[in-house]
Amino acid sequence: MKSLLTMLFMVLSLLINQAYAATTVDDVKSFTLENGMKIMVLEDDSIPNANMYLFWKVGSRNEYPGITGLSHFFEHMMFNGAKKYGPKMFDRTMEAAGGSNNAYTTENLTVYTDWFPANAIETMFELEADRIANLAITKKMLNSERGVVTSERSTGLENSNFRSIWQEVKGSAFRAHPYGWPVIGHASDIANWSLDDLKQYHKTYYAPNNAVVVIAGDVKLEQVKALAQKHFAPIPAQPEPRKVHTVEPEQKGERRVYAQKKSVTTPNIMMAYHVPATQHDDHYALDILSDILSTGKSSRLQQSLINDQQIASSLFTYFPNSIDPNLFYVSAVAAKNVSAEQLEKALIFEVNKVIKRGVTEHELQKVKNRKLVDFYRNMATINGKANTIGSYEMYFGDYQKLFTAPEQYNKVTLADIQRVAKTYLKKSNRTVGILSSEEDSNDADL
Amino acid sequence: MMRIFNLKTVWLCLVSTIFTSQAFAAYTLPEYQKYTLDNGLTIYLMEQKEVPLIDISVVIKAGAIEDKSQAGLNYFTAKNLTLGTKLLTKTELDQSMDFIGANIFSSANLEFSTVGASFASKDSEQVMPVLRDIIISPRFADTEFTKLQTRHLLNLEQRKESPSSVINNYFNRLVFGEQGYGSVIAGNRQSVAKLTLAQIQQHHHKWYQPSNTAVIVVGDFDSKIMKQRLQSLFSNWKNHSKLAPTQVTKTTKKPKTNVLLVNKEDATESTFLIGGKGISRSNADRVGLSVINTILGARFTSWLNDELRVNAGLTYGARSRFSSYSQDGSFAISTFTKTKTTIEAMDLALKTYARLWEKGLDEKTLASAKAYVKGQFPPKFETSSQLASLLVNMYGYQFDETYINTFEEQVNSLTLAKSKQLISKYFPQDNLQFVVIGKAEEIKDQIAKYGEVSIVNIKDTGFKTE
Repeated sequence: MKSLLTMLFMVLSLLINQAYAATTVDDVKSFTLENGMKIMVLEDDSIPNANMYLFWKVGSRNEYPGITGLSHFFEHMMFNGAKKYGPKMFDRTMEAAGGSNNAYTTENLTVYTDWFPANAIETMFELEADRIANLAITKKMLNSERGVVTSERSTGLENSNFRSIWQEVKGSAFRAHPYGWPVIGHASDIANWSLDDLKQYHKTYYAPNNAVVVIAGDVKLEQVKALAQKHFAPIPAQPEPRKVHTVEPEQKGERRVYAQKKSVTTPNIMMAYHVPATQHDDHYALDILSDILSTGKSSRLQQSLINDQQIASSLFTYFPNSIDPNLFYVSAVAAKNVSAEQLEKALIFEVNKVIKRGVTEHELQKVKNRKLVDFYRNMATINGKANTIGSYEMYFGDYQKLFTAPEQYNKVTLADIQRVAKTYLKKSNRTVGILSSEEDSNDADL
Repeated sequence: MMRIFNLKTVWLCLVSTIFTSQAFAAYTLPEYQKYTLDNGLTIYLMEQKEVPLIDISVVIKAGAIEDKSQAGLNYFTAKNLTLGTKLLTKTELDQSMDFIGANIFSSANLEFSTVGASFASKDSEQVMPVLRDIIISPRFADTEFTKLQTRHLLNLEQRKESPSSVINNYFNRLVFGEQGYGSVIAGNRQSVAKLTLAQIQQHHHKWYQPSNTAVIVVGDFDSKIMKQRLQSLFSNWKNHSKLAPTQVTKTTKKPKTNVLLVNKEDATESTFLIGGKGISRSNADRVGLSVINTILGARFTSWLNDELRVNAGLTYGARSRFSSYSQDGSFAISTFTKTKTTIEAMDLALKTYARLWEKGLDEKTLASAKAYVKGQFPPKFETSSQLASLLVNMYGYQFDETYINTFEEQVNSLTLAKSKQLISKYFPQDNLQFVVIGKAEEIKDQIAKYGEVSIVNIKDTGFKTE
C-alpha cells in the first residue's frame, strides 16, 4: 500500500480507448446483499492470490470540532479486537493464513484491504465480518492506540514539509466545511476523544449499507456470493448516517497563510483553489488541466519553472477526487536563492497564461495519450484493478463510469480547459501558503 | 494515514533493491531467454502479455563503489544520460516521450546503474532507438549539466530535512567505513560541486561498454522480432578496453559500539537505527534468515512492532531488515518516537531483539511466518516492471533463479533447531552500531549509556560519523 503522500500522487488513471482494454465492463460482476452492502467481483487468475477491498463512506468530512481525526483513529481501532477474534488476533490470524492487510483514511473514505492467497478467502470473510458486526473497543486499546496515532502525526510533520504547509492551507481555505482540518486530526482532539465517541462512530458508519466491497483475483463469483451470504448478509443495516449538509461559503478574496519550520531549505509554496466535486461536469476538464500544468518534464510548469527559468526545484499539482467541492492545488519548492515571492509570481504567471491564451491541441492530446498508458499500468495488478473499480464506485457513483470515462475525456475541448481555468484558478478563489525557515516578520512590520 | 506494515516504500526503503526474500509454494520464475551478442552484451527476454506494455531496463555494472574520492560521480553520470541525446535536445527528448506516455528513468546504487523505459508496446519502434542513444550517445550538453548540478546540490540539502531519508547513509558509514558499501550514492555537496562534465563523460566512456551491460526486456512483444530489433540497435556498439571493477573487501566486525547522534535542531522526535553487519546476497542462509527476520521485525505482528507499537504505543511502526549487496550486507532495527521517549523506545527495541537468543522462536510462530512469506510472494512478481526489476537484480547482484525456484523448499526446510543456529551465527549481538537523529541537547546525556557518543549536525555536508 501507499503512504499518504504516494496516495496523493496516485492518479486514478482512465481508459481512453476502449479497444485496448485488458479489462472490460463485463468482466466486473456485482450484486447487493439485502442489508444494502454492494459487492463487486473481478475474476482474474493471473496469480494464485486475491484481495478484498472494503470502502466505507466515512472520512474526515463526517467529523466535527472536538472529534477531528476520529475517522482515521477508527481505522486503527478496527484492528484491535472483536468478538470471535480478540485483541491482536485479527492480524495474527490473517498473517498465519498467508495474508497481509493495510488501510487508509482520506477526507471522504476509509478503505481497508486484505491481500491473501486465494485459498484463504473464507478466513478473510470471517475476520472482516467479526469486526464489522462485533468490534470490541476497550479503554486499554484506546490509550495505546492514541500513542501510535500521535506518533504517526508527528512523524508526518517531522519528515514532510508538504504536510506542514498542507494543514495550514486547508485550514484557511475552508472556514465552514470539515475539509478544513487535517485527516489525522488536531493533537488536542486525538488526546481527548472518548470511548463513547468511538462506539457511536462504529454503529453509525460501519453498517453494511454504508460500504462497498471489491474482490479481485483468483476467485469465482459463485464462491464469493456464497461466502458473502454466509458472513456479511447477517449483519443488520443501520439508519442512513447524518448527511453532510455544510456548503463552504464562496471565497471572496485571496487568503494567505505562513508557517515557519527551521529545517526547511528553500521556501515551499502551496496554492489552493476551490473547485467542484468529482461528479460535477467540470471534473474532466480540470483533471486534464492539472496534467497539462505539471505531469511530465514537458508539462508547462516543469518545463518553464524547473528547466527554463530554474526558479523551482520541484513542483506538482493535485486535484483529488472528492465527494463535496474541494481544492485544486498548485505547489512548488523554490530553487536555491529564489524567494517565495519570485516563485509565487512565476506560478501565477503560468496559470494566468492558460486563462488568457488557453492550451494547445498537442497538449490536450498528450494528456489523453498518457491516460491510456497509465490505465494499463494501473490495471496490470489485481490490486490496481480492485482499487480503481472501488474508487470509481465511491466517487463517481458507479463503477461502470470507469469504462465510459474515455468518452468524457474525449468530449473535453480546448475551450473547456480555458473556461475552467478562468472560472476557478483566479485570485479571489485561492489560498496561498508559504512554508519557510524564516520567521514571519521583518523590519517593516508594525 | 494508515497502518505501517506495507509501508516499505516510505520508511527505510533506501536500500538499493526492493526484492525481498519471499516465495510462494510452487512458484517458479516465468520462462525467459538469456543470450549474449557478439560484443558481449547480455540480453534477457521475458514475454508477458496481460497488458500492452513493455518495460526495458539496461543495467551497467558500475556503482557508487567506483566513485572513490569523487562521491556522486557514478550517480550523477546516470542522471545526466537522460538530458538529451546526440539527435535530440533535452526538450525534444522530454516532449517526444511525454507525448506517448513513455517514462524514461535512470538510477544508480552501490554496485550498478540502471537506465530504462516503460511504454506502450505499440511505441517500441519509437522508444527503443531513443533509449539506445541515451545509453550509447548521450548529449552531455554543458548547460543541462550545470542546471542539473545546481538542482542536485540543493536536493542534497533538502534530503537532510527528513531524518528517514538520510539515516541509512549515516548507518552505512558506521558499518562499512567511507569506501565500499559505505560510499554515498548521491554524493555530498562538496564532492558534487567539484564534478565536471569532462569527468562525467570520462566515467561514461569507461564503464558503459557492452560487455559490462545487460538489456532486460519484459512485456508484450514477440521474442523473434525483439531479437532482431535488439541486434540492429546494439550490435555495432563496441568494447574499447578491459574493465577492472573495484573488489569490495568484506568488513570485519567493529571493535566497539559507536553511538552517532545527529543533531536536528527542530526535531520533535528521534529516529534511530541499531544494528551491525549482515549477509551478502549469495549467502546460502539468506532465505532462512528472511523468515526469522519476518518474525522479528518484518510484518505487522512481528515482535518489534508488537512491543513498540501495539503494546507500548511508542511509535507508528518498528521493524528490522537485512540489506544485502553482492559481497556483504548490514542488519538494522529501526523506528522513531517522540523525543521524550527516546531511551524508553531504544531500551525496548534492544530488549525485544534479545529475545532471539534468550527465548528463541516457537513452532507456531515459525509456521505462521512461513505461511506469510509464501502467501505474500506472488504479488511481488505480478507485473512486467516487477519482473524486470528481479532480472535487473539477478544480473546486477549475480544470482540466478535457483534462488526463486527453490524458495519454497528452503522456507519449508527451516526448523527451530536450524533457526537457533542461524540466529547465533548471523544476527549481530555485541558491538552494535547506533544512529540517532534528533534533538541532541535533550538526549545526548541519556544515550551515553549505550556507548561512546559522537555528535554531528544534520546540516553539515555529507555524512560524517565523528
